[in-house]
Amino acid sequence: MTKPRSPGALLIARLLRRRIVVASLAVIALIVGAAILAPWVAPYGPTKMDIVHRLKPPVSLHWFGTDDFGRDVLTRTLYGARVSLSVGLMVVVLASLLGTALGLFAGYIRKLDAALMRFTDALMAFPDILLAIALLAGLGPSLFNVVLALGIVYTPRVARVVRGATLVLRELQFVEAAEALGASDARIMLVHLLPNLVSPLIVQGTFIFAYAILTEAALSFLGAGVPPTTPTWGNMIAGSQQYMNQADWLIMAPGLAIVLTVLSLQIVGDGLRDALDPKLQRLM
Amino acid sequence: MTAYLSRRFAGMVVVMLMVAAIVFVIARVVPGDPAAVMLGSNATPADVAALRTQLGLDQPLPVQFVLYIRDILSFNLGNSIFLNRPVVDAMLDRAELTSWLTGLSVAIAVLIGVPVGVLAAVRRGTLLDQAVTAVSMLAASLPSFWVGLTLIEYLAVRLGWFPVAGYGNPGAGLGERLHHLILPAVALGLPNSALIIRFTRTSMLDVLHEDYVRTARAKGLGPWAVIIKHAFRNALIPVLTVIGLTIATLIGGAIVTETVFGLPGVGNLIVSAVLRRDYPVIQGALLIISGLYVLINMAVDLLYAVVDPRVRY
Amino acid sequence: MLQLKSGFTALAFGALLMGQPAQAQIKSAIDIATIGEPGPLDPVTVTSDLVSIITQHVFETLYAFDAKWEAAPLLASALPTITDGGTLYTVPLRTGVTFHDGSAMGADDVVASLQRWLKASPRGKLAAPAVETVTAKDDHTVTIKLKQPFAPLLPLLAFQNGAAAIMPKALAASTDTLKTYIGTGPYKIAEQKPDQYIRMVRFDRYASPAGAPSGYAGARKAEIEELRFVPVPNATTRVDGMLAGQYQFADSLPTELAPKFKGQTAAKPIMVKPFGWALVIFNQKTGPMTNPVVRQAAQAALAPEDMLLAAFGDPTFFQLEGSIYPQGTPFYDEAGVKGYNQHDQKKAAALLKQAGYKGEPIKILTSPQYDFLYKMSLVAQQNLQEAGFTVDLQVLDWATLLSKRSDPAAWDAFFTFHTFVPEPSLITIMNPAYPGWWDTPEKKAALDAFNLETDPTKRVADWKTVQGLFYAQVPAIKIGAFYSLSAQSQKLSGYTPTEWPFFWNVKVSQ
Repeated sequence: MTKPRSPGALLIARLLRRRIVVASLAVIALIVGAAILAPWVAPYGPTKMDIVHRLKPPVSLHWFGTDDFGRDVLTRTLYGARVSLSVGLMVVVLASLLGTALGLFAGYIRKLDAALMRFTDALMAFPDILLAIALLAGLGPSLFNVVLALGIVYTPRVARVVRGATLVLRELQFVEAAEALGASDARIMLVHLLPNLVSPLIVQGTFIFAYAILTEAALSFLGAGVPPTTPTWGNMIAGSQQYMNQADWLIMAPGLAIVLTVLSLQIVGDGLRDALDPKLQRLM
Repeated sequence: MTAYLSRRFAGMVVVMLMVAAIVFVIARVVPGDPAAVMLGSNATPADVAALRTQLGLDQPLPVQFVLYIRDILSFNLGNSIFLNRPVVDAMLDRAELTSWLTGLSVAIAVLIGVPVGVLAAVRRGTLLDQAVTAVSMLAASLPSFWVGLTLIEYLAVRLGWFPVAGYGNPGAGLGERLHHLILPAVALGLPNSALIIRFTRTSMLDVLHEDYVRTARAKGLGPWAVIIKHAFRNALIPVLTVIGLTIATLIGGAIVTETVFGLPGVGNLIVSAVLRRDYPVIQGALLIISGLYVLINMAVDLLYAVVDPRVRY
Repeated sequence: MLQLKSGFTALAFGALLMGQPAQAQIKSAIDIATIGEPGPLDPVTVTSDLVSIITQHVFETLYAFDAKWEAAPLLASALPTITDGGTLYTVPLRTGVTFHDGSAMGADDVVASLQRWLKASPRGKLAAPAVETVTAKDDHTVTIKLKQPFAPLLPLLAFQNGAAAIMPKALAASTDTLKTYIGTGPYKIAEQKPDQYIRMVRFDRYASPAGAPSGYAGARKAEIEELRFVPVPNATTRVDGMLAGQYQFADSLPTELAPKFKGQTAAKPIMVKPFGWALVIFNQKTGPMTNPVVRQAAQAALAPEDMLLAAFGDPTFFQLEGSIYPQGTPFYDEAGVKGYNQHDQKKAAALLKQAGYKGEPIKILTSPQYDFLYKMSLVAQQNLQEAGFTVDLQVLDWATLLSKRSDPAAWDAFFTFHTFVPEPSLITIMNPAYPGWWDTPEKKAALDAFNLETDPTKRVADWKTVQGLFYAQVPAIKIGAFYSLSAQSQKLSGYTPTEWPFFWNVKVSQ
């Protein structure tokens, strides 16, 4: 007989049973590490131009070569990770806060349900990128505004999951017991419901993280995202189209960085979902 | 049925109103006086004041909203500042290209997604299934503009199999137009087939375990006959939802794809509008595209009834 | 659903098999890839090069520049007779010229058009203070009476940018931007589909001027039946589309892509040299750039050499040259160029401190449609930030940049280029009405002296004074001279490389 383990430990154990998930976690750890350490490990400044040494192929001085302004591509890819990951993370936080609030109210307070859900339906009726473009056109392009716009764009996805989970949870005995004991709505939502929403939130957050990175890159590519000199993966690809036949490393480094990050996040998200309670699985 | 339809319709109207309200709020976030923005830099203060009155911008916000809804109902979404013509006309001009592009991409996504998904479900747990899962996950991780640029460089520029960009000459026939659309449709449809594959697979797996499928098997029907006649038909319902969702995603994706391939469609109009600070076009596009999305979803819901007579209303 | 789907597929494949367009290919037509959507095609009020390139096929002026940059008659039948000490121009008109609407061109149409030009064209406004009256002497003679001699009048009348374009009297009545386009040119507008194409067809009743073709002047013949100007904002796509044979001509190509044409059979590159010079213009009406010391700081901070290299890559396509006029032309003056190509961030920072600059954001307008300008602006942003400027780089559509720059509140600096013009007073920034609004008393005095002077040697000396002020007052910064790269299909013959490409007298083989 093994001794009983906490749900968290059980989840991690289930997660680590799959090698592909472990590998993806390692990739994410590596990218996060590179992003955090960028100012120390990057060999050059991210915006430092050295025009004379432009479009140099990968050599020992510049592992990933240089771009059309003589900027080091490795350095910019590392700093790009910093921007892309922090945008992703902040979007997840913002969307989770807004979405959890919306979803909890809709799921627990019956009177609000219809109105709030129609509101999320309306928000979801806009294609992600179009809503982001429209918001950014009004707000003006900046890193902060990109986070704000994408945070709003992904709010309904969180709201739906949280509402679904809340509808299941509210029928469970411990919630009914708390209600019988006269706990206030606010107390039930914060103390009894919220802690049980953490797992679906983490799963959904992982996917939103991935989508946010893809959408941010697309926005930068379209010229509707962060300003063009900021090193983001999308900006790097946008600037390199001209040089595809003479300097394909320019488009490969940021492109592969996006694919690797998004793929790893999706694998981890899938692994998390599989490892979670099967009842909650259905809601996602 | 009638009761369901009217309820569904009422819900749709509420969502549409909310959509309009959101676009209204976004329109008011835009910096500067909309009237001044519309008239450009050569306008006199008197011109601006006149247009403000004409647009009802001097009215209280709730009145403005009512006026706004009235305008929408009469298909008046304002004028493009840059093109100096109604937004609706500008969108309609470009709608044909975008419809073709979206249609072709949906066809590609469905033609790949559904059969591959069914196959993966039937061969569950085999190497084939795992490969399908892996590839579909990879496809969903590819930025479509990156795929597009790569396709252009190799298949159009280096091999010359496809045109590099654009939509052909003004007098081009349908064949030439479609030739221009193949690469964009692949770049757009391929990543989106991933979602359809995964949904079809999951949905098929659920159905294959149902009693009636076992019964059909027990009756001695051939394996593919069971899969097609019994399992697939029932698995189709959730798959339809995803196809509906995919259409909406593809309309959004067309914004990026049309820019990459220089196609003068609705998406291109929207991106140009960003560089032109042409806010009415962006807001008009928001309204029209989200309206389409709501309608498509409604249509998908109604299709359930056709596919599965058991669905009760 | 499945039936629906296969029906759709059958339709698509059927269409593919049909292949060729239904329309028979009897017409000769070419596709010309331009840098983007031009917006309204008013040759008078809009001074963008793209609008000039397109509209010169449709609208004509009284005079046109020949290959030696001398004005030669176009709608006029001869050069004007100048009397009364240079203040009375008598212009004889050609007879038998027909507008696209079928009406005959008369002196009253010319008078109305010139009056519209004086009121509505930024270039016409330059001449307006010197003009007293424009009148029809008879049905085929127009007289322009001046208040004082004004040497640039003839070159201004011959210029296709901000052109003194001749149109029917009714059209010229309003100074609003044109919505219908009726000119006398060899081509007439058939259709304008924004962001898709502008289609123009041969004007069958075109009356050509006499004389051998020379530059923009001489006989004009519309050999090709249909011209289509296709907006292709992505510069790389313009090159790739040329190589694939999709376009028969493409303008403003990234010079770095010139090697792509090596060994290609479909198209050949064309270098136009001299072509023009790139510059960044400062807002001297409102905002932080109104302080000349801040502008001098920007002048000190910029690194034109880096900007040119980043923009053009290959040094055969540019010249690091501070003189506004290139070497070998009469107005060349490298001696008076003080402050060009400094790249001295310390000096810039000191100047900023002296000016009391507090980090107000400098709004710089740029557009990716002119790839070289876009890259220059990115380098400039870096240079200026290193010196202590706060830069707000606004990336716009080119046509939008052009309309935004006339609003002083919308910008502090913008990037543009100027094509080579023979007459210095044609340079846009010399015009006080041109965005940037360089209108100091010193400059006005120097320019007036230059414009009144008719002796060529003395004009050179006067020009040196003007250029000296350009470097001292920094209304704008010249980045350097460059040569343009365009490309033509091997099927085209008879094309003359110019700043504003034109396609009359050009033939296409099938």
